[in-house]
Amino acid sequence: MDKPIRRVAIFGMLLFFGLMVQVNYVQGSQAEKLRTDSANTRQYLNVFNNPRGQITASGEVLASSYPTGKDNPKYGRKYVDGMVFSPVTGYFNGGASKVELAYNALLSGTDKRITHQRWFDMFIGKKPEGANVELSIDPAAQRLAYRLLKNNTSRRAGAAVIDVKTGAVKVLSSSSSYDPNDVAPQTGEQGAKKLQQLDGMRGVIQPLIDNGMSQTFPPGSSFKTVVAAMAMDDLGMSSSTPVNTGPLILPESGKSLPNSHDSGSCGGTAPMLGAFAESCNTAFGRIALDAGIQKLHDESSKFGFNRKWNIEPMLKPAESDVPISFVGADGNKVDTGKDGTARSGIGQENVRATPLQMAMVAAAVANKGKIMQPYLVQKVTTKDQSTVYQADPKLFSQAMKSGTADQLEDMMRAVVNEGTAKNLIGQGIAGKTGTAEQGAGIPNARWFVGFSPMNNPRYAFAVVTEGTGDGASGAGPLAAQILAQVRK
Amino acid sequence: MNSLGDQIRAYLPYQRRNAASLALLAFAMVLTLSAFAEVGLARDGNIPSGLFVYGGGLVVLAMAAYVVQAKFAPYADPLLLPLAVALNGLGLAMIYRLDLDTSRDHKVAEMAGKKLISDEANAGGQLMWTFVGIALFVTAVLIMRDTDRPDAKFSFTPKTAQRYTYIIGLGAIILLLLPIVPGIGASINGARVWIRVAGFSVQPGEFAKLLLVVFFAGYLVNKRQAMSLIGKKVGPISLPRARDLGPILVIWFFSLGVLFMQKDLGTALLYFGLFISMLYIATQRVSWVVIGLGLLAVGVFVATQLPFMGHVNQRIDIWQNPKPYFDGGCLLDSGKVVPVNPDTDLYKQAKAAGSSYPGFTACDKLGGEYSDSAQLMKGMFALGEGGVLGTGLGQGEPWRTPLSFSDFIFDSMGEELGLTGLMAILLVYALIVQRGMKTAVAARDPFLKLFAGGVSFVVALQVFVIVGGVTKLIPLTGLTTPFLSQGGSSLMANWILIAILVRMSHDARKPAPQAIQDEGMTQIVSTR
Repeated sequence: MDKPIRRVAIFGMLLFFGLMVQVNYVQGSQAEKLRTDSANTRQYLNVFNNPRGQITASGEVLASSYPTGKDNPKYGRKYVDGMVFSPVTGYFNGGASKVELAYNALLSGTDKRITHQRWFDMFIGKKPEGANVELSIDPAAQRLAYRLLKNNTSRRAGAAVIDVKTGAVKVLSSSSSYDPNDVAPQTGEQGAKKLQQLDGMRGVIQPLIDNGMSQTFPPGSSFKTVVAAMAMDDLGMSSSTPVNTGPLILPESGKSLPNSHDSGSCGGTAPMLGAFAESCNTAFGRIALDAGIQKLHDESSKFGFNRKWNIEPMLKPAESDVPISFVGADGNKVDTGKDGTARSGIGQENVRATPLQMAMVAAAVANKGKIMQPYLVQKVTTKDQSTVYQADPKLFSQAMKSGTADQLEDMMRAVVNEGTAKNLIGQGIAGKTGTAEQGAGIPNARWFVGFSPMNNPRYAFAVVTEGTGDGASGAGPLAAQILAQVRK
Repeated sequence: MNSLGDQIRAYLPYQRRNAASLALLAFAMVLTLSAFAEVGLARDGNIPSGLFVYGGGLVVLAMAAYVVQAKFAPYADPLLLPLAVALNGLGLAMIYRLDLDTSRDHKVAEMAGKKLISDEANAGGQLMWTFVGIALFVTAVLIMRDTDRPDAKFSFTPKTAQRYTYIIGLGAIILLLLPIVPGIGASINGARVWIRVAGFSVQPGEFAKLLLVVFFAGYLVNKRQAMSLIGKKVGPISLPRARDLGPILVIWFFSLGVLFMQKDLGTALLYFGLFISMLYIATQRVSWVVIGLGLLAVGVFVATQLPFMGHVNQRIDIWQNPKPYFDGGCLLDSGKVVPVNPDTDLYKQAKAAGSSYPGFTACDKLGGEYSDSAQLMKGMFALGEGGVLGTGLGQGEPWRTPLSFSDFIFDSMGEELGLTGLMAILLVYALIVQRGMKTAVAARDPFLKLFAGGVSFVVALQVFVIVGGVTKLIPLTGLTTPFLSQGGSSLMANWILIAILVRMSHDARKPAPQAIQDEGMTQIVSTR
């Protein structure tokens, strides 16, 4: 009977071999698929079981996890001044937005940069802890900016301040805003409902869409900075070139493109510097017509218009546009005609820009034509203080020639010293005003876009608020106060 | 006789391997104690008090078992006891770890004024049953005498059972039928394999398994000569005589009966597979295996065609593609399974009508029985979570799988010990089976050979059916995982099984009796 016993023994081994193959298949090659299976609720439950890293700015803790003492969620998330910082931090409730989303893997401790470093912890079964994310934001200025924006208008307002040498975003503020504490994990069902409600808002006020980099507005006259850069770079003009500031009849419709005033520099002819300082529409309408919409489109592209780009991983600002054509109400593609080109030259028609984009335009002026890649996160450190990520200043684009930038710096200073923003004399900021019409019955988008300090500028900014009146009074004083705080 | 067993005995004189056994046992204990320590260290940073109660308890029991084995069966296979202790200890540590979570769930539910329906992991109970199991092992090793001294008074050896073959067979059938008897039979978690005795739930099937091995061995030893006679020859296969087909048909009908009455494919497969393998060992005829597999195929095919056997179909459907039934499956009277998950119109209609359990309502409307694949898939998710190295004991969430402490304990192990741990566990099982088979080869008596071979193969088959089920290699059926699953019946039966193997291996491995040389050249004759 020994032979059949041996055969049965071998068959028994084959059974075990089959089991071993299957276990290897399941746990070896199928594990990742099982973990991410749509029916597997573990992947959603686990995110609340471990503390996430902190989000800080200038050492101040803005977002942190704390044990709830409950089973689910084990950890809640607390945001300091949520309304102020949510445009940058975003929210976390299992899903996430903004920096909470862009740095999710590092914050939750699942990123390879942490797990590889902490392989020994992994080996002994210690869960890697989430890393701390330090923002480039100046918290005091961010707070001031939010207060100013909120008090200025009941409609939308946004502000962005960039360090021109590095690209570090110092302020990215929005009103309206929302408090991420309201949707954090500890709020459970209620928070999920709140988030759904915020997401479903379709009016003018959409709190989840921040007005600093995720919302576009017509830039109005502040866009003349881009047109002037094009004139000097491509059309052989300079700040002293005389330009026709007299009345302009639009070639297609025969209507006139009005100036805000027809006196002073806008009275017939003036050097470009004067036309810029007093924001004469006709002069820049003519430059745009001379160059054509394609050239204007290409010029603006150098500043970051007309494309999506990442400010942080998975985080793209809204696209700013100078369209060559657009899709009309009837669904057909319509080319931007001559009239449209002239109006595009003064930042109207279908030109749209985020405050962050306009701050980048000003940054090019203040930094010899160079725009540094904007970023929100300065560095990421693990719990044991080793740095796993450090922002590395790099060139975003050379938007204009260095000499052009120098002349535009002078022109922006002239706006404050002798032009449309004389109310800001002595406040340490230079820039370009903008007052964009947004259609009948809708308040203007009031802009002030520029740099600070006046000489050897370090910061570029853009502030937009919606309301009646012009950019010099509607946005300028806000910018002056915010920049005074940033310079401190 | 120049059998393999004789060759082994001739060239490899057996020695006592008690030191090896003790060293391995110490390693099994270190393994168990480390498992307990890791649970505590991972959960709250302290060595858990359970380490002393449970780990300490197991150490004392295992040492007692070792002392008895060393004294009364000194030539026993040194591996069997340490392997069983390692599995029992790991299972106890896992149940302890699950107990910490499920009893907390229990308390939370109690505070909320609710009662948890699902039964829970119970480490205290498992320790008690381990105690009973090892006590049975000790008793069995103590009372069973060497087979070659049948003349001793009150002798009871593994071979004694041969005398009571048919009584034992009857006993096995009675045990198997008990759960269906109204009054003492109890249905737990949908399977009717339990009886209630004095407040305890007992799974008589676990003991019936052992009795069946004895019965098959006794029966086949008597009939093997007749059954190995050749009748017609068809192609390469020599068919047995038609009149010898009786027994296999009886067992076949019996297995089908188990399948129909208990709706349990796994158990039916276990008994029938056991019989075929023992028949093959006894007769050496491949034709019996072919006939057996043919009958098995017919049985399973018939089962899938009968409408009232929908359970079998459902298990197969779910095995092939569990996804549609995850959030709700419905077993119709026709034997078909239809999904009633949230993506289906039925579910949406029921939900629109205001049902709080739309899946159940939708299934009710169809007139079927609600059943989903959630358990299997959750078990698979646990395996996925574990990956290659596992989360570490106490650091995963194996309690998310229903029955994580009994049917699905293998998946729980997979989550926390990973692929690495599972391979080790499977190897331990494989070693037990192989040591058992080796004992069968080395045994001197045909009955004992069949007995040891059957007992070893039934372990292999049982592990294959349950582990294959929870890892989606084959359709799932609820069997216990030997030594790991929570449950007294399983532990007791398996400890007895190990005791039998220990006793038989001692018999097989001890030196042949020495001739008393005072009568000149008288040659000792084998006492067999």
